[in-house]
Amino acid sequence: MAKGIVKKTFLAPLGKDNPVFVQVLGICSTLAVTNKLENTLVMTLGVMFTTALSSWTLSLMRSWIPSRIRMMVETLVIATYVILVDIALKAFYPEMWKQLGPYVGLIITNCIVMGRIEAFALQNKPGLSLIDGLASGLGYAYVLMIIAFFRELLGTGSLWGYPILGSWWTNWSIMIMPPGGFFMLAIFIWVVREVVLKEAKK
Amino acid sequence: MKQSGFYAKRIYPLVFMFLVTTVCILITSGIFLATEDRVRENELLFLRTAVLSAAGASLGTDTSQIASLYLSSVTENEGFYIVRVGSGPERYVIPFKGAGLWGEISLMVGFEADLTTLSGVAIVSQNETPGLGARIEEPWFTAQFAGKKGPFRIVEEGTADASDEVDAITGATRTSESFQNIMNRAASESRSIIRGL
Repeated sequence: MAKGIVKKTFLAPLGKDNPVFVQVLGICSTLAVTNKLENTLVMTLGVMFTTALSSWTLSLMRSWIPSRIRMMVETLVIATYVILVDIALKAFYPEMWKQLGPYVGLIITNCIVMGRIEAFALQNKPGLSLIDGLASGLGYAYVLMIIAFFRELLGTGSLWGYPILGSWWTNWSIMIMPPGGFFMLAIFIWVVREVVLKEAKK
Repeated sequence: MKQSGFYAKRIYPLVFMFLVTTVCILITSGIFLATEDRVRENELLFLRTAVLSAAGASLGTDTSQIASLYLSSVTENEGFYIVRVGSGPERYVIPFKGAGLWGEISLMVGFEADLTTLSGVAIVSQNETPGLGARIEEPWFTAQFAGKKGPFRIVEEGTADASDEVDAITGATRTSESFQNIMNRAASESRSIIRGL
């Protein structure tokens, strides 16, 4: 593996090929779990784990998978890893499991996971696919953490559950509700595309 | 996948899918069985904590301590629990369920021996909006019911002062109303559940 390819594979999902603000994938969970930093972190760790390992596993199996049933195999492998995350949370972090509710199970339907498998893992070596999956998960994670930072701060005046802004601050309840997710995501995508990506193109 | 014809088209995919499915099921059921006891313990601990805190017991975080306190002070009856912590007064804890904004809210409601004064409330499960309705889990919210008698009236957050008033949660009016309904039902049904009237 050439070093250049590894670096490119790792950096692309963090910037110009970001799954959230460039490819606009995985939006359902972006809106649903970004109103508290703690929940967001656990959720994004689950997604990182799933994308990385399912990309790796399917890349290992890629020459044996009959192409006609590849989507079934992909879904099965993804579901296995998601169930592992779900069970691990249920057993070792029950409070968080209760809060995240159905969203952990919904990682199965996160387009980023299957998207990276279809677009990358089935054509590349396991090691590189693992890096691609991990980086895609990371690209998803940091965007969600930024959105969650603003939503929790503006919506509850606190960060990670600790009050930051004090009693003079009037909580913007809408930030915690689903519309707040739409607003923050749209503003974020707009700022990144207009400012950061345009600068990079010049 | 060099072979062509019937085997490659029909048999191989079937066998392959069968194998992958078997492996996946073995892994997930293995992990499930390995954590089963722990999960059940978590659930039991959660329920016991809810019963004890609804009865007004002060609890630490030590799980074995909670378990032994539960075993020494709670009598389980059909439909309710009788709790007597140490030499304290006898209290009654009744599980109640009701509709919240998004899903079911399940509670443990504790009563003093008069069956009208509340000793506490604990949330067993809820699916309200995190950061808004889910704040019913916060101690300040549940603690305001202790020592009060139903029926309750919810008032704007931070303004409750009369003995039947409780603070609502700002931004979660519907959840607060649902909670009030469940609590009022609890207050009116407590006698018939415990005395069997």
